[in-house]
Amino acid sequence: MVTDLRKCVGCQACTSACNSEWDVPAGFARTRITHTPVTGTFPTLAAGILVAQCSHCDDAPCIAPCPSGATFRDANGIVQVNRELCIGCGFCVEACPYQARFINPVIKKVDKCDFCSPRLARGQEPACVTTCTAHAKFFGDLEDRHSEVFRMVYTEGAQRRESDDIAVGPNVYYLGKPSQVQLVMNTFPPRKPKLPVSGTLWEKLAKPAILGAVGLTFLGQAIAFFHQLRHGEKDHED
Amino acid sequence: MSKTITRRRFIGTCGAVGAAAGLVGTGRPLQAQGRPPGWRGTLRVKKVASVCEMCFWRCGILASVAAGRVLRVEGNPDHPMTKGRLCARGNAGTSLLYDRDRLKFPMMRVGKRGEGQFKRITWDEALDFLAEKLKGIKQAHGAESVAFFPHGVSASFFSILMKAYGTPNSAEPAFAQCRGPREVGYALTFGRGLGSPEPVDLEETKLMVFIGTHIGENVFTSQVTAFAEGLAKGAKLVVVDPRFSTAAEKADWWLPIRPGTDIALLLAWIHVLIEENLCDQDYLKQYANGFDKVAAHVKSFTPEWAEKITQIPADRIRETARAMGKAKPAVALHPGRHATWYGDDTQRARAMAILTALLGAWGRKGGIFLPTSSPKGSFDLPDYPEPTRPRADGAGTTYPLASEELGVTNGLVDATLTGKPYPIKAWIVYGQNSLQSIPQQERTKKAIDSLDLMVVVDVMPNDHVLWADLVLPEATYLERYDPPAVSESAKVPFVSVRFPAIAPLYESKPGWWIAQQMAKRLGLEAFFPWKTPEEHFATIIEPMDLNAEELMVRGAMPFPGRPYLDDRIAAGETLFETDSGKIELYSARLKELGFDPLPVYTPIEDPPDGYFRLLYGRAPVHSFARSENNEQLFGLMPENELWMQASVAQHLGLQDSQRVILENQDGVKSLPVRLKVTQGIHPDCVYMVHGFGQRSRLLSRAGGKGASDTELMTRVKIDPIMGGTGMRVNFVKPVALGPGR
Repeated sequence: MVTDLRKCVGCQACTSACNSEWDVPAGFARTRITHTPVTGTFPTLAAGILVAQCSHCDDAPCIAPCPSGATFRDANGIVQVNRELCIGCGFCVEACPYQARFINPVIKKVDKCDFCSPRLARGQEPACVTTCTAHAKFFGDLEDRHSEVFRMVYTEGAQRRESDDIAVGPNVYYLGKPSQVQLVMNTFPPRKPKLPVSGTLWEKLAKPAILGAVGLTFLGQAIAFFHQLRHGEKDHED
Repeated sequence: MSKTITRRRFIGTCGAVGAAAGLVGTGRPLQAQGRPPGWRGTLRVKKVASVCEMCFWRCGILASVAAGRVLRVEGNPDHPMTKGRLCARGNAGTSLLYDRDRLKFPMMRVGKRGEGQFKRITWDEALDFLAEKLKGIKQAHGAESVAFFPHGVSASFFSILMKAYGTPNSAEPAFAQCRGPREVGYALTFGRGLGSPEPVDLEETKLMVFIGTHIGENVFTSQVTAFAEGLAKGAKLVVVDPRFSTAAEKADWWLPIRPGTDIALLLAWIHVLIEENLCDQDYLKQYANGFDKVAAHVKSFTPEWAEKITQIPADRIRETARAMGKAKPAVALHPGRHATWYGDDTQRARAMAILTALLGAWGRKGGIFLPTSSPKGSFDLPDYPEPTRPRADGAGTTYPLASEELGVTNGLVDATLTGKPYPIKAWIVYGQNSLQSIPQQERTKKAIDSLDLMVVVDVMPNDHVLWADLVLPEATYLERYDPPAVSESAKVPFVSVRFPAIAPLYESKPGWWIAQQMAKRLGLEAFFPWKTPEEHFATIIEPMDLNAEELMVRGAMPFPGRPYLDDRIAAGETLFETDSGKIELYSARLKELGFDPLPVYTPIEDPPDGYFRLLYGRAPVHSFARSENNEQLFGLMPENELWMQASVAQHLGLQDSQRVILENQDGVKSLPVRLKVTQGIHPDCVYMVHGFGQRSRLLSRAGGKGASDTELMTRVKIDPIMGGTGMRVNFVKPVALGPGR
């Protein structure tokens, strides 16, 4: 996905179309417009607009912390959330450097942009791209050398929103005047992923622990089941 | 004991996690995932092409309908103007359709006016009541004592009814509170106004000039597309605005003008163009009258003169004028839309029109293009009765160049208050929120309170509904037929029509039905000689040379346009329908009527100490005072904020995000509004988005949210040429509220 910031006027048609397409509750958004504060002193000023959504990062920091395996990357490279697996714990929300995820208060599960995967499957572009009043959003396959987005990224120099600290390979790019893109990048740097415990500790200890607990549940259930099968239901004192 | 507890606890606590994990194997294919329940399922979804009415630009939409419900409204890719693109409001159409606060049934007032106490009645009761009242008023006071305030294409049926009833008194805010001065100023110069959509060739231009236009915050889908495509093609942009607008962010030249001095800047630009010989002389020789008079007129209006007035450095004025001269004739000087600012607005529009003409940009590629009309079918109607008394709003008399078709709303308010030229006894307000659209709210309320009858036809219980004696719930644009309309001034002109996507909800009714039912009761059936919308539709499009069925299915169809003068010259057409048949740089007509034949800068009153000029504008996610309660749009923007220059805020000790109340020069106070402290605004003024601060508690979301600019407009400066209400003549001071709320 490439957004041309020279064209975007921040009209929020993308947000509204997305909200309607995916029944995102009012006040929440999978794709969001944020204006930078005006910089400079009157009358020498600059300002810009950020169009943010899930960046489907190459090294997506949201996948690892998911305790239930709901967040995963599909064959097209799109980071997906399997809602039936999601337990709404919100660890991934904290882990995302772009604040692209939120807990949907209606379904109590995590919600985010999936590049409109079902629309893609029907051969349609994402709803935000189709509706964009400024024709500022472009979607395509970066591995296709003949695609519009390939040209924008590799010839015109569209940029990723990364910092020296946080470089996870986001697949949402921004085109624009260098000063304008710089202003947006500086104003909205990626956030350091927040995990319940430190990343390594989480990977090494906490996650196996939860998975272990999940496994033990089954084990426990199985033992109880066979126990009851063999001995019949007995009353227990509480 | 401890053993059993342990086991149960283990199962209990892990159960939740386990239950979720246990679903691994049963996950449905990804495609189906993410679809909200009931979205599609096994239901067949029908797509109905129609015309959006979240505003009045006439964008093409497709409504997805299943089981009698509109699931989604999206852009119609087949639409000649919008090609599938649709703004935030258009995408939120279903939130209007299913708004819990909609007017659902006909209602009769039971409390006092303004209280909003109603009882539900039937349509028969409502229509019989209205018919009896209208008959009585006609008998006692004459048909002219009924004033009609329409807005939107669905009101056109009721307009026929009102003319047939015999009143000439019809007025919409689209003229005297909005585009009127512009239409009159350009018509005086070129022989025709601009219309909607504005025929500005943004896509093909080399230079865009915005003076009184904030595209980006003001969103009309295809206009934003053309703006962005024009920029992408390399057009330069000049933005004149006291506020650092979204367009200003993109501008090559932002000229933060001192509010109210635009005419001085325009005159200085004209001065430079003439002085430095940058005008399109061939074009002017061929098409225009009065060049020498303009040259003599602007002789002393140097950039240095204008700098003192506008606070824009003289060299910036020269630089931008030269950029125009270089880009001519492909200069898209946007004529603006809302133009009723200071009471000399027709003259400002004239200055813009003259500038456009000097650049040779009218009717030229990259400038202002020309509309193409289409024949329209009509019914064989009886003659409308000739009113025995002239219009009460002053259109054509007090305000000599006011449109008699669109009328002067404030003229009708005046007539109602004063009883002159004759008493007005009833208002029928159709699809316009008259308390939020007409300034001087207290006068409007007083006028309403003096009436024998106040009727509102609308979709939402906006502020004015609270003042109605009778409320008639209209169906939304997704539930009704509206007649085919020709968008003549689109680059590719087209005809489009609205057929219902679903049947009206609750007891709401389409405008055509309401008008027809009333006609029956008033004995005016002869003015509605058609039975069904389909029959009406067929007659209107009969001479249009297009396939009726195809239009119904596609929602809109283009026809060939002739956008440039060259197209017209080839056809031997009249190019300028002015008195002289040429572009009138110098207006003999204005001179004759006793007005300045060439625009003159007149200083306006400065804000008193401690006060700031109140400016207002639009947000991309709301339309006027119509959409603030829409759940989805409310989610995007629940309230407005007050822009204030950082240096001023610091001086006043005010903080960003703090809530303040605004008090105007007459002591009128607003609801609390949040401050936006920014460098991006001229220190003389403050700014807010219009449409908020509605008091109607029948609006469960928007009621009481934000501040209303209209409420603070206790003063207006009337444009003597066309009767428009200049509204930027009000001053406010912020009064801090305690921390927090």
